[in-house]
Parts: sequence; C-alpha cells; structure tokens
Amino acid sequence: MKQATLDRSRQTVDGMDPALKPRLKRRSTFEYVAWAVSILVGAGMLYSVATNPNFKWGTVAKYFTAESILRGLMLTIFLTIASMALGTLLGLLLAIMRASSVKPIAIAAGAYITLFRGTPVLVQLIFWFNISALYPNLSIGIPFTDIGTAIDTNALMGPITAALVGLTLNEAAYMAEIVRGGFSAVGKGQIEAADSLGMSGAMKMRKVIIPQAMPSIIPATGNQVIGMFKETSLVSVLGVAELLQSAQLIYARTYETIPLLIVASLWYLVMTLVLSYPQSKLEQKYSHTSVRIPRKSKKVTLTAPEGIAR
Amino acid sequence: MSTAGTIQASRIRKSFGPKTVLKDVDLEVASGEICCIIGPSGSGKSTLLRCINGLETVDSGVLKVNGEDFGYYETDHAYHALPPKKLAQQRTRVGMVFQQFNLFPNMTARENVMSGPVLVKRADKKESAKRAQELLTSVGLGQFGDRYPAELSGGQQQRVAIARSLAMDPDIILFDEPTSALDPEKVGEVLNVMQDLAKRGMTMVVVTHEMGFAREVSDSLIFMDDGVVVERGDAREILSNPKEPRTQAFLKQVL
Repeated sequence: MKQATLDRSRQTVDGMDPALKPRLKRRSTFEYVAWAVSILVGAGMLYSVATNPNFKWGTVAKYFTAESILRGLMLTIFLTIASMALGTLLGLLLAIMRASSVKPIAIAAGAYITLFRGTPVLVQLIFWFNISALYPNLSIGIPFTDIGTAIDTNALMGPITAALVGLTLNEAAYMAEIVRGGFSAVGKGQIEAADSLGMSGAMKMRKVIIPQAMPSIIPATGNQVIGMFKETSLVSVLGVAELLQSAQLIYARTYETIPLLIVASLWYLVMTLVLSYPQSKLEQKYSHTSVRIPRKSKKVTLTAPEGIAR
Repeated sequence: MSTAGTIQASRIRKSFGPKTVLKDVDLEVASGEICCIIGPSGSGKSTLLRCINGLETVDSGVLKVNGEDFGYYETDHAYHALPPKKLAQQRTRVGMVFQQFNLFPNMTARENVMSGPVLVKRADKKESAKRAQELLTSVGLGQFGDRYPAELSGGQQQRVAIARSLAMDPDIILFDEPTSALDPEKVGEVLNVMQDLAKRGMTMVVVTHEMGFAREVSDSLIFMDDGVVVERGDAREILSNPKEPRTQAFLKQVL
C-alpha cells in the first residue's frame, strides 16, 4: 500500500512515469550542419534556375508536348522495347550456348560476348550504319552456286534498322552475362538431382536451371531496360529522330539549345521514374533469393500431423 | 531380369587431379541387399556412391549396375562413353538421395515427386499425380503435396526426396549421408522410411554415420579409409567384432 502511494507521488513530482518515457535518437552536430548547408545550396540553385531568363521555361513548356517531341519519345520507347526484347532472347541463347559442353559452341558465344562488350556501343552503332562499305550487297543463297538473291545493303540498313541492330546485338552480350550469372547461382546439387533422375540437357535447362535463375535475372533485366532507355539517345548520331534528335532538330532551327535539352532530359527523367517503380517492386519480389517461386496462390494446410513415419 | 538391382564393381580407380580417392575398390551388392558404407570423411565413400549413378566417372575398373556396364560400352580395347540419352536411361534405374535433399525449390512436393515420371518418362500427368500422392502418403506426407520445399522441415524434405526417387521405380537407391544435414530429432523419421523400403526388398547402398541404422537394417557393411576397403562383411559382425585395427579405432570413436 505504502509502495503504491510512493510510486504515485514520484509520478506527480517527475510528471511522467520513467518507464513510459520515449528513448530519443542521438543526432550529431554534423547532421544539423549538413541540413543547413544543403538547404542553403538547394535554395540558391532553385532561385538561380527560377530567375535566370536563359532557361526559358516558357519555351520548355511550349515544346514539352510538341508533336515532334512526342513522336521522338514514341520512337525512343519503341527502340527500347524492341532492342530489349530481341537482345534478351539473343542473350538467353548466347548464355545457353556458352554453358554448352560442346566446345566450339561455347567458344563462339564467348567470342561474341567479348567482342560486343569490349567495344563502345556508339562505335558499334556507327559501324552497323556504315556496313554497306564493307558488304555493299547482301546476298542470300547457297554458297558456291548461282542460286539466291542479292539486296543492296544500303537500302536494307536504314538508320532505324542500324540503330535496332546495333542496340540489340550490344544488349545481347550484356544480357548473356546476366543470364550466365543467374545460371551460376543455381546450386550444383540441383543439377545433380536432375541428372540422377535422368533428365536430358534441354529438360534440365527448361525445368530446373532457368526457373531458378529467374529471380536473379529479372531484376537485373529491369535495370537494363532503364539503362537502355537512356542509351537509345546515342542513336541520334545516326540521324534517327528519337527523343534527343527530335529536340536537336528543333534547336538547330531556333537556337533554343538549353530549353530543348531540358525538354528531352525531363522526358528521360519522367520515363526513368515511371520505370523504376515496377523495377523496385520486382527487386522486392525476388530479393528473397534461393527460396521459392510459387506460380499460383495456394491453400496452405495447417496443423497437419507430422506423419506416420515418426 | 535376375541381374536387376545388382551392383558389381571391381578394381575401381578414381582420381581428382593428383589425389587418388578410390584405389582398386571392389563392391558386390546382390538384389535386395542393404549395404552400408561407413568410414571417416574423405575416405572416398561418397565418391564410390556417386560413381554408381554416374555423377562421377570412374577412371578405370569394371562397373556393372543392373548387370550392364554403367555409362560405357565395352569393346576389345576400351570402354566407350555412352551417348547422353543412353546414360540418362540407365540412371533412371538408379535413384539417388542426397545429403542436402536437392529438391527443386520451384516445384511443390507433389511436383517434385512427379518430375521424374512426367518430365523424363513422359508419363501421364494425372496418373503420375495420383502415384505421387500415394508415394507421399507412404512416406507420411500425404497432406504436404502442395507445399514448397522451403515450407517443409529438413526431415520432411528428405522424405519427399526419397519419394521422388521411388517415383522412377528404380531397381537400386543410393543414399549419400541422408541424415547428416538433419536436426537430431528429425533423423528418426527418415530412417524409418528407409527401413520400410528395406523391408520391401529394395536394393540400397547407404553411406551413413548412423551406426544404429547399419546395425539394425543393413545386411552387409563396408568400412572404407583413404580410398580402400579396409573391412567388409556382415554388418552386425563387423560392428560388434571388428577385425582390422583401423576399423576398431574408427568404431571406438563413433560408437
């Protein structure tokens, strides 16, 4: 009884039960300084951006949804999707070839990957655009016979085709490495288990290795998509009217270089942000590596007996 | 078919680089026999087991499984490796149970058990599912068919792995330290399933550290050390009355 009164009296004196007091985090002086400095710098930059008339925000707004810019954006999106889709397929094929026990196939895939990862993509794009200098005519037919047909390479390899070919072949090399990384994440025991059941090589790949490699391949592929979206700006050197080239075409006429580069950059930024949301979701989904990839929701039976074998 | 379920190996040699892990090992297992292989780690017992189902290739020696040369065909001058299809076919008759279970994590328990018949033998899916359910029930996991391996305990996973091997109707099942990765309290449930199998006349070769299992279930016992068979014979006889000093020393440590 006496104890209770004592407790209550202490509460009234201190104002608060010590057991209920929140525990506060310690903030270092450095953190306060960092806040102050970054707010100052940020405010200064905002002020400059808002007041410098050379930014011409009115022009930015005017061209942001201009028809030619939107058409350029569409082409950029098309190039991204097409080259990623084709590059991923080719990359998967290359990765499978590289894992082959047949030496010449593995070596061929390795050579391809080395060549296309070892040279700049910009150089590759210009190369494909100028391929007609190397092979003026592309002929399809049976070697050492007259049967077949020839096409003028220049007519075939227009700017957009060259862009698509260049981006796809380059992306395939990177995707091959990503897929290979996914393959090597599959445990040796899994392959032995498949072997001991008598699975064939193709079956093993399809049912055991690829499904288990997916959790590490998919998030990396998402990153590649975001990277590819920005990489497509390189094809502007071929005169393909994608987003950057569309902006360049306008400022070549009006000399409003900075505002139009801002227009293009804002679109790249918007699209990257739009793409990063599903990307972070994918990463979350597959971050629990090596566990399981349920394809459908399923009923879980609870409290089942441990089994008769006990 | 009198050769089904038999293993004859003589003078098996196997090296990994400069290290010889099997030095002229002989092994004879009759149909329906339960043979335990014991020995210290690094003695070559797991390698011997893995050779029997082709996870390792032998360097030299004769290896006949189910009466056929395993993985190779013999000519006057050499053994030639079989084409992959033929090897895979031989493997379907030899089941393997691994220390780390090696269930496919992307398939449910039932799909794991079905994987062999459906993917390899092209069996009917409905039939295989029914059979898988029976097998899961026989290892005490009838209600766990829809669970993924990650949702099962080690002992349950190992029992699914045994059911997966059984689904192929093998003539022989090889066990590579099947209980070594388990919690001590889960060891019993796996050993019980293995004991059931033994009673049904399955040929089993078991690499194990479970001397109790060897004593109770095993017909023959092999003690290996440093790539050679040191002692072989009746399981109970060796465990209670080892002749070789090396065997005596080993058993003293583990019993």
